[in-house]
Amino acid sequence: MAAAGCVTVALHVAEVLETIVSGCLGPEGRQVLCTKPTGEVLLSRDGGRLLKALHLEHPVARVMVACVSSHLRKTGDGAKTFIIFLCHLLRGLREITGKEKDFFPFENIQTCGRHWKNCCQWKFISQALLTFQTQILDYVMDHYLSRHFLSIFSSGTKERTLCRGSLEMLLGAYFCGRVGRNNHNLISQLMCDYVFKCTACESSFEEVLELVDDCFVELKVGVTGLPVSDSRIVAGLVLQRDFSVYCPADGDIRIVIVTETIQPLFSVSGSEVILNSEAQFQTSQFWITERTKAIVKHLQNQNVKLLLSTVKQPDLVIYFAGLNGISVVECLSSEELSLIQRVIGLVPFVLPEASSQYELSHTALVKFCKPLILRSKRYVHLGLMSTCSFTPHCIVLCGPVQGLVEQHEDALHGAFKMLRQVFKDLDLNYVTQTSDQSCTSGPRIYKNSRESNELPKIVNSSIQRSYQDTVVKNKGELAKTQTNLKVCSNLIVPSVKLEKNVLCSTPKVAVTDSYQTDETLRCSSPNKGRIMDDHEPFIENNSANSKTENTRKEISYENLQVTKLARKDSILPLRYKSLEMCTSQSYYFSSIPAGCVLPVGGNFEILLHYYLLNYAKKCQQSEQTMVSRIIANALLGVPKILYKSKKGNYSFPQVYVRALQALQTNQPMISNQTGLESVAGKYQLLASVLQCLTNILTVDLVINIKRQPQEVYDQDSEEEL
Amino acid sequence: MSRLEAKKPSICRSEPLTGERTRASLAALRGLVTSCYGPAGRLKQLHNGRGGSVVTTSQSAALLAGLPVSHPVLKVLTAAVRNHVACFSDGGLFTAILCCNLVENVQRLGLTPTTVIKLNKHLLSLCTSYLKSEVCACRIPVDFSSTQILLSLVRSILTSKPACMLIAKEVDHISTLILRAFLLTIPENAQEHIILGKSIIVPLKGQRVIDSAVLPGILIEVSEVQLMKILPIKKSDSFKVALFGVSLSGDLSDTGEGTLLVSYEVSLENAALDQLFNLGKQLVSDRVDLVLCQKVIHPSLKQFLRTHHVIAVDRIGVSLMEPLSKVTGAWPIGSLGSISPNSYGSIKDLCIAKFGCKHFFHLIPNKTTICSLLLCNRNDTAWDELKLTCQTALHALQLTIKDPYVLLGGGCTETHLVAYIRHKTRNEPESVLQDEGCSQTELQLITDAFCTALESLAGSLEHDGGEILTDSKYGHFWSVQADLPSAVNWPDLLSRCGCGLYSSQEELSWSFLRSARHPFPPQTCLSREATGSASTLTLDCFTAKLSGLQVAVETASLILDLSCVIEDTN
Repeated sequence: MAAAGCVTVALHVAEVLETIVSGCLGPEGRQVLCTKPTGEVLLSRDGGRLLKALHLEHPVARVMVACVSSHLRKTGDGAKTFIIFLCHLLRGLREITGKEKDFFPFENIQTCGRHWKNCCQWKFISQALLTFQTQILDYVMDHYLSRHFLSIFSSGTKERTLCRGSLEMLLGAYFCGRVGRNNHNLISQLMCDYVFKCTACESSFEEVLELVDDCFVELKVGVTGLPVSDSRIVAGLVLQRDFSVYCPADGDIRIVIVTETIQPLFSVSGSEVILNSEAQFQTSQFWITERTKAIVKHLQNQNVKLLLSTVKQPDLVIYFAGLNGISVVECLSSEELSLIQRVIGLVPFVLPEASSQYELSHTALVKFCKPLILRSKRYVHLGLMSTCSFTPHCIVLCGPVQGLVEQHEDALHGAFKMLRQVFKDLDLNYVTQTSDQSCTSGPRIYKNSRESNELPKIVNSSIQRSYQDTVVKNKGELAKTQTNLKVCSNLIVPSVKLEKNVLCSTPKVAVTDSYQTDETLRCSSPNKGRIMDDHEPFIENNSANSKTENTRKEISYENLQVTKLARKDSILPLRYKSLEMCTSQSYYFSSIPAGCVLPVGGNFEILLHYYLLNYAKKCQQSEQTMVSRIIANALLGVPKILYKSKKGNYSFPQVYVRALQALQTNQPMISNQTGLESVAGKYQLLASVLQCLTNILTVDLVINIKRQPQEVYDQDSEEEL
Repeated sequence: MSRLEAKKPSICRSEPLTGERTRASLAALRGLVTSCYGPAGRLKQLHNGRGGSVVTTSQSAALLAGLPVSHPVLKVLTAAVRNHVACFSDGGLFTAILCCNLVENVQRLGLTPTTVIKLNKHLLSLCTSYLKSEVCACRIPVDFSSTQILLSLVRSILTSKPACMLIAKEVDHISTLILRAFLLTIPENAQEHIILGKSIIVPLKGQRVIDSAVLPGILIEVSEVQLMKILPIKKSDSFKVALFGVSLSGDLSDTGEGTLLVSYEVSLENAALDQLFNLGKQLVSDRVDLVLCQKVIHPSLKQFLRTHHVIAVDRIGVSLMEPLSKVTGAWPIGSLGSISPNSYGSIKDLCIAKFGCKHFFHLIPNKTTICSLLLCNRNDTAWDELKLTCQTALHALQLTIKDPYVLLGGGCTETHLVAYIRHKTRNEPESVLQDEGCSQTELQLITDAFCTALESLAGSLEHDGGEILTDSKYGHFWSVQADLPSAVNWPDLLSRCGCGLYSSQEELSWSFLRSARHPFPPQTCLSREATGSASTLTLDCFTAKLSGLQVAVETASLILDLSCVIEDTN
């Protein structure tokens, strides 16, 4: 396949995929029924799962699916948006190039040359895309978009405490896109309850989420045949097996875990047992019995009431355990064992070598231990007493068919993944060029900068923000950054001019003049009505590894109620002097702080669209303008689908126009949606899509091999699909 | 991995419900389940050309288990029904028919899935909250002081399964047996948590249904050869029982993973046998009367035990172990070496009984909640059907104990619910419209579709071309023969309503179920006198039907929500 047709072909493929996934997008999305080769049916609205189920053959399609799944592994969300966005980007690219070359005569040798020229052109565009993704996107996110961010953490306290209302909105929006319409409220409520029930103290959400994400399979029980509304949360841990022996016990219940059979083996592997007489055999059998009896008896003396075993115990052990009032659960999986160990910190009991007296130190207490009957199937229900911040609870998911239960399980698991991402900071870094001129103008403005706290107008009145600059004192990191710097600076040479414009448009740059105390300074662009938290570096001329110390500063706005956004900007500013250009490059390291969210319903897309268009207007370089425009327009694809079924005042053009007006007049955007979505997730999605597109564009030839792959056990990413 | 083939691409179909194929298969399934419904339902004969027995049935459990479904949409539907049946035993056909009806009715309207699902959910919650409320007039609280209601429930379940081939007298007999078997499983001194016992169904094919019986304790089948070896049982007021879970065959037990080197002339088999004899000696000295073994007992040990007047029965199987342990109080022994005296149990009496051509050991317990239901029927298929029905009935009784209500059967609950919903949505639509944000017309359309689905469900009880009427006071179900004379006096023609609660002499007014009617408020709050006066009612299990209703609506919503189907053809 020729690269010239590449975009067209890729667009065809993406359009086909788009028609499938757009049907499931958003709160109005519908279900897709997948049949497995085994004949089972599965209901799904999960984009990643659908794409996998299609078993696509087309090479471009396979590239796309591979990109989607690698994105999903990272974030666990956004597969459908990925495809839609990619499709719109390709559409945008084709429109532009289509105007220039409508014809492709592939007859003579000359065209062959043209073909390679085309390839070069695509290569060029993809380079521009990559530059955009690594440079401009971060810049726009940090400078413009960040003022609209809300946080899911509640205000008022120093520590990050999760606000229940915000969490509900975040989860509600997530499940709207994942499970059936009649169930999403129920499931998101269930999950919200679960998160709060499992968390012992407010500050340990991250730890709990990590544990739940890792061990989700062990923490849920699927029950088919009951209505979905019967789903519930049960306190304690439910093991998906029955007791081998159950002896009702109450009060003080001690448990031990064993990983080997309690009954001594007649012979161990690799050894030889020589039997010279029948009596010898009988004696050894007798000894085995007595020994087993002694161990079990000892366990009983230590008040052990429950034996958890990872292996199958022989009849003899079961018999003696039953006689001594010890319940036994056998064949625990290693995952269940590790979960129990994580929760109660219990180490498996090691059988002593000698049969004399020994101390039994590895026991733990449980609150209760009883059979739980769900749909006439018996499970083991343990009331573990947690030693970590996770209070064990299990989710019982009911549904009329297995396929639906699985869908809910997947959605819940994905939601935990997504929440984990929300709780993480996401780093942004970008380069801006500062001309000498602006540097010199710095000292003049510096005097105002102290008072600048009061200066800016509040853009989003409902949001309180405090920017906190952390102190960075790390020589090693600094050095590392410098090496990065060199690499980066080589990459960005072609777009240097362009970036120069960026800072020229932000007219007032304040620079500190205090050379003694390495101070931070702040650039503010009052015309935009906000404070930019840029920190101009101070570096002594000759020393490359100077310490940088940012003073802590807090800027508080006046009317602040709803949310507080704690920003931790760890900034390592450096100045790079380029001899030829006479400009200095500033490297900014900022981040999207944990818990940043925006209202759903295409808010992120419209905002980014608006700022990218603004950016494109200012940008003089045609290439970057073009790329920004294409991306800006493609971003609208998602909200267009979301608002497709809405009429009148809520139709897409109306919403769009209202949003733009609000942005232009610096008024808060009004959203009629109640859900929230993670900013970091969206940002990562955008980055992944751009990388995927670059990937597709840079390929000039697809070589079709019709032979068995030689190394079948090769770890190919497509294997997993 | 020797085989690595590229996967074939899947087939993707969008809008699966509008296709002709889906519509046809859905209609076929609906026809199938509808024709089976109710006491007058037609039987289906499942015959697999590749082998296996021919099944004659009208129950959803047997029907759907043997019916391979290829269409993905139908797979969802039948899976939902089968899962429901696995949970509740009863109400499978009800769920299947309602779900098919709902999908077909709503599909015809062509409204957006969002509205349909929202409104269906709302109507469902209207139904469930009414059925659970105190004012509900199609729900009867169960009076445990008399057996009347429970007996009626069992009878209704038996009569609704025509493939059992029972005549009226047999129905009476079997329903009494089932109720008795159930009552035997309830412990006498019940505390807060009742742990029900178990009734074991013992097959006895080829006998008259009337010969079926309920016996307390456990029946263990023994062959005639075995019986001859067993000596006459001595009379005693208590028998000591040893129950073995471990094999007594004298095989070498697990010798570990190492290598075993055995000197010449040393026989481990003899050693193991010696061990068994020692065990036998211990049993004899402990004065055990009966040895039961899940697995095999070595013939020598059997011989040894017999000479010491100990009865030995082996190959009992794992399924009987738990009940046996409960009946005798014995702990299953897992050791060949030492036996703790606590692990012995006892029974009150032991006798040999002969039913039909089969011989049984009958273990009569002192006091326990285990009983055996000896079930007879003429042929295999009818017996299978009867067994399934008995299990259903026993399960329904258990569910009724948990939630002590029953619903009126015979179509009356459905027609009554329809009257209630129609009245409610016509007179108080504001609450719905406000919450769900849809128009009055949409609500009316969906309500109609929902109610028609319930009505035609009730209507499928009638298979002989008769007409169905409903009264305008209680909203109950009345059926009348086909080919009526033009001018009729309804009260003479109709005798009682579907459930048997009301008689036609009550000065009611009737209208055809299919005709358009004006919505009316059905009378709520069932009076005690009404339920007391009627002798035989047709009743349904409350829990099973309620859950069936929910599952049917949820599954229908699920199917209506499908935007495309991806079929993996690998």
